[in-house]
Amino acid sequence: MPSELEIAMESLITVFHRYAKDGRLNRAELRKLMENELSNFLRSQKDPAAVDKIMKDLDANGDNQVDFEEFVSLVVGLSIACEQCYAAQMKQRSFRNWKIPDWERKRITPPPNSP
Amino acid sequence: MESAIKTLVTTFLSYTKGKENLDTKTFKKMVQQQFGSVMEDTDSSSSIKEMQQGLDENSDGKVSFQEYLTLIGYVANTMSQKKCASNQESS
Repeated sequence: MPSELEIAMESLITVFHRYAKDGRLNRAELRKLMENELSNFLRSQKDPAAVDKIMKDLDANGDNQVDFEEFVSLVVGLSIACEQCYAAQMKQRSFRNWKIPDWERKRITPPPNSP
Repeated sequence: MESAIKTLVTTFLSYTKGKENLDTKTFKKMVQQQFGSVMEDTDSSSSIKEMQQGLDENSDGKVSFQEYLTLIGYVANTMSQKKCASNQESS
């Protein structure tokens, strides 16, 4: 039984290869991937200069293609950007689910014979 | 893809429980629970320790979020290469 994390990694690989027809993404394929898969995270897909910049940043070996290893850098960058946001969200959620512990509740409940 | 990234982040956060880094014990627990199907030797304490030392770029004895992402990148790369190799064999 694969874990949640393994399923997530699996789906990243599947997404990459869906767009990278020959195992690497060219500029048009990268743009398409960003447009279809990262529409909530990134708003810069429509800006050709931004796509060029991301492409250049990712393309570590300078072959004008993004291979899987270079694609991982994008995932890492987005994860770092999201971390703070999710950390704050999780804190809030755990606060909302927080229940009064039993010993505390007993103390709060007034004794049955109180006036 | 966005939900996959969310899982990467929230998995780490669910183990750190508000702290910044994973300590040795929690890292071991995470590897055993989360990487059981893709890694061998997850029941060997010494190989997990070795892996942790390999990731520990700043040598503080803990695994930070960045170091965790290095591991994810490494594992994902290996999985991707394996997948490509098996696709070529079958086609």
